[in-house]
Amino acid sequence: MQLIVNIVVLTSIYALVSCGYVLIYRVSRVLNLAHGELMMVGAYLLLVTAGYVTNPMVAIPLAAILSLTMGALVYLLLMRRMTGESVLAAILTTIALGILLRGLIVIFFSAAHQYPSVPLGLHSSSIQILPGARISTLSLVLVLVTAAVYGSLFAALRLSRWGLRMRAAGQNPLLAAQRGINLHFIYALVWGIAMFTGSVAGMLISLDAGLDQTLVLIGLKAFPAALVGGLDSLLGALVGSLIVAAAEVLLIQYVNPLLADVVPFLILIAMLVLRPWGLFGTREALDRV
Amino acid sequence: MRPFIALLAATALAPVTALAQEAYRVGLSGALTGPAAGSYAPAIEGLQLYIERLNAAGGIDGRPVELIVLDDTGEPSRGATNSRRLLGQERVSLMINASLSSTFAPMIADAQRAGVPLLFASSACPAEVYPPAQPLLYCSTAFAARYDSRATLDFVQEQAGTDIDLGLVAMAIPLSRGEIEAAEGLARERGMRPQAPTIVPPPTADYTPFATSIQQAGADWVYAWAPWVTQVRTVEALRRLGWEGNYIAWGHIEAEGELARLRDANLYAIGANSLFSENLPVHQDIRAAAAGSTYPADQMAEGWIAGMVVEAALRAAGWPADGAAVNAAMQGLNVDTQGLRGGPIQFTADNHFRATQYYRVYRWNGEAVEVVRDWQAYSVE
Amino acid sequence: MYKRLVPIALAVCGLVALPIWASTSAMDIANQILLASIGAIALMLLTGFAGQISLGHAGLLAAGAFTAGILAREVGAPFWVGIPAAGATGAMLGLIFGLPSLRLRGIYLAVSTLALHFVVIYLGGEYETRRGFSTGILIDPPLVFGRELWDPRDWYPLLLVCAGLTWLGARNLLRARTGRSWAAIHDTEPVAAALGIHVARAKLTAFVISSTITAMAGALFAYYRGFVSIEAFSLFVTIQYVAMIIIGGMGTLIGAVLGAAFVTILPHAIEWGTSLLPTSRALAGSIFAINYAAFGVIMIAFLALEPGGLVGIARRLRGLIRGRG
Repeated sequence: MQLIVNIVVLTSIYALVSCGYVLIYRVSRVLNLAHGELMMVGAYLLLVTAGYVTNPMVAIPLAAILSLTMGALVYLLLMRRMTGESVLAAILTTIALGILLRGLIVIFFSAAHQYPSVPLGLHSSSIQILPGARISTLSLVLVLVTAAVYGSLFAALRLSRWGLRMRAAGQNPLLAAQRGINLHFIYALVWGIAMFTGSVAGMLISLDAGLDQTLVLIGLKAFPAALVGGLDSLLGALVGSLIVAAAEVLLIQYVNPLLADVVPFLILIAMLVLRPWGLFGTREALDRV
Repeated sequence: MRPFIALLAATALAPVTALAQEAYRVGLSGALTGPAAGSYAPAIEGLQLYIERLNAAGGIDGRPVELIVLDDTGEPSRGATNSRRLLGQERVSLMINASLSSTFAPMIADAQRAGVPLLFASSACPAEVYPPAQPLLYCSTAFAARYDSRATLDFVQEQAGTDIDLGLVAMAIPLSRGEIEAAEGLARERGMRPQAPTIVPPPTADYTPFATSIQQAGADWVYAWAPWVTQVRTVEALRRLGWEGNYIAWGHIEAEGELARLRDANLYAIGANSLFSENLPVHQDIRAAAAGSTYPADQMAEGWIAGMVVEAALRAAGWPADGAAVNAAMQGLNVDTQGLRGGPIQFTADNHFRATQYYRVYRWNGEAVEVVRDWQAYSVE
Repeated sequence: MYKRLVPIALAVCGLVALPIWASTSAMDIANQILLASIGAIALMLLTGFAGQISLGHAGLLAAGAFTAGILAREVGAPFWVGIPAAGATGAMLGLIFGLPSLRLRGIYLAVSTLALHFVVIYLGGEYETRRGFSTGILIDPPLVFGRELWDPRDWYPLLLVCAGLTWLGARNLLRARTGRSWAAIHDTEPVAAALGIHVARAKLTAFVISSTITAMAGALFAYYRGFVSIEAFSLFVTIQYVAMIIIGGMGTLIGAVLGAAFVTILPHAIEWGTSLLPTSRALAGSIFAINYAAFGVIMIAFLALEPGGLVGIARRLRGLIRGRG
């Protein structure tokens, strides 16, 4: 029973992080390998707002809005220049951005372990959710938030006008632009939303477990989840996260805890060999013509 | 004509600079920055403050000690570059390593080549310093492979007997794994029921799965010997799962502050350094020296102890102190730690770790960090 | 023709004469540049010329280093066996790393090489733990012509020769048929196939050759440092090599060397620069982070503003000097 709860929590963590990868790839066809660092920046933003406002109900949304703005700025100031460049150049730009952000964070905040929950007065307690299974309150909040985020993303992409435009921009940018859709605005919006979801994940994790540079590696481990499900499918991100999280938890429990680190990448390799576009992704022109 | 005059002037000035006071030269390569810096940089700063204080008081017989600090960011290749520079260019007579164990091998090789003693301060003591010790390698750091686990198991046995299920936690780095796997063997010998060690990879999103496997195997006591972050995250995860057993972990430099933060009455820290809350004279000295420093004073004990060892070694070596003289001096060293440890640090020709290792166990008792069991001595063979 | 020879001759003389007047730490940096150049040329062949993205470079360096280390430690193999053995390991891994390229392109290829890197690193770490080399594998300095290589000055001639051979080998390869088939598959795969070029063979050849050289460079690193440990081969090392070929100038051999020099010297330059500022110990604590941030900024600057790299800048300058008038 406890195992199931653990799997659900870990799935939510990975799902909330990987929807950022999927959103950016689906709409702007860029693989953002700086997502882990952006997630960490969001969590540090919470540390900053918590320094000024001790009410969590204000500090958290404030930090979230700041990260939304920052995501849009990342696109407008940097990624916009890279549209049209080669795939390698775009990936490397995101990697370089990640490196830059890591350096800046240590310069401004030091590498020490931080606890945003302390100024906010939040203490994680554990509650019995099912017979034989306990969950911490912050993890429960995380699961609910993930569900809410996915629900609204599904609804927005399918039903709202902006969602329709985003999907159009993702499928055929040239045609979308010709039809009057402002591509730069759409891209900035999606980068903002992606950073928003990543930051919320980072904030919730850091409220529970503290904040330091290792948060970035969570972003890296969530990446195989996104790819396994299909880089342009939100449903795929959910399913992929479930697969990777389940594999990790079960292996730790029954086989060997050390495999937890390398298994997501083994799953990734397996998917790339068998079905590179993932379980639910759209098949891309990968083979020769 | 003018260049000639300038050259003449320069050669005239040269003897003046040569009259400047000669200093004892000590070199350090450590993780000042980088991911591991949090565990080593405070000790390095502590050592620097000690040497500054020593020099302000006149140095050793009027000669200052020059401490050259090079950053290796925890990377082995930088450690190698640093040791070559310290030995080749800077010509130090004593070298110090305050970095991850991966930097040991190159520094050891270089030190042995150059005949200069190498002191491990704040980094885990390599096997070579225990008897029979290899030449030129010394260690003043608190933790001790095998002895730590022995002392911990002794304590657990005192508290709970041997009829217990023992959980074991390590981080997936060779040093931690090795120690916990040895502890498993030791526990079994005593008749305890150790679980298979739970090895946690460093950058983990969620410690709950690891804590779950410990809890489900039904542990009464859990022993963790790993970097502080692994130890503390695991106990926090265990508590969130509702586990109420006893958790004993190695008391790293962060332990004193963290015990106060966690307020967990069943969380024990076993260590070889005394508490700053005792406010002994030596603690007051450190606090005074650390006014305005980057790191908190209560994390500087290791560096201060290293400073004591360095001062004692250089004093005993006399002048001029080259590598061989310092090495000879260190072989018979007896350093009074003034209360920072349970007793003095004694080196002999065969034992470069210390003759006796002392342990204390602490926990939070509701109001403050208290000593559960006072200094217990283990003689090192 | 003589106009070209003079600067080349001067450069060669300067390189050969370096040990005479340079300090030990300067020689160490020079050696690091030479070692990095070998790896950078290998990556340039694969990514710059054959157009195959690979983010697994550090894994290949690690494989070469570990092969040399394991052979030296377990079997006592000498230098002359370790290096070719590392090359063989590299070739084998190159085949594995290259297989995905037959089906995948673009980001999927990049990601597959990234995943393979992590697997290699994991295996290296497991080996270290299982065999009890918790502090790395120590290697004795190699014996070359009866002389033990330990001081940077001793290593310099050997590394200069190795780098020179790599350069010449690469240059000849590029002029030969293999190189031309790489140029063909670089951008226009379908056309290359239509022209009768065996695309799969060209791709795999690129991976295998590049990986062999890289693994040998890794083995040289291992002998130079005197030890091997898995921490030295992180993802950041891969990024550094990729940065070398981008900063240097993609698609040029001289770019690989220039980029290698730039990336190797950068942290030392930053350290020197910050030491000039009136600082306290506090700034010293941030040097690592400053290096990181500066590296990121410079990489972004080259990617966004000057994709042609240092070579591109040089060309532009030459054009400015010559052209306007």
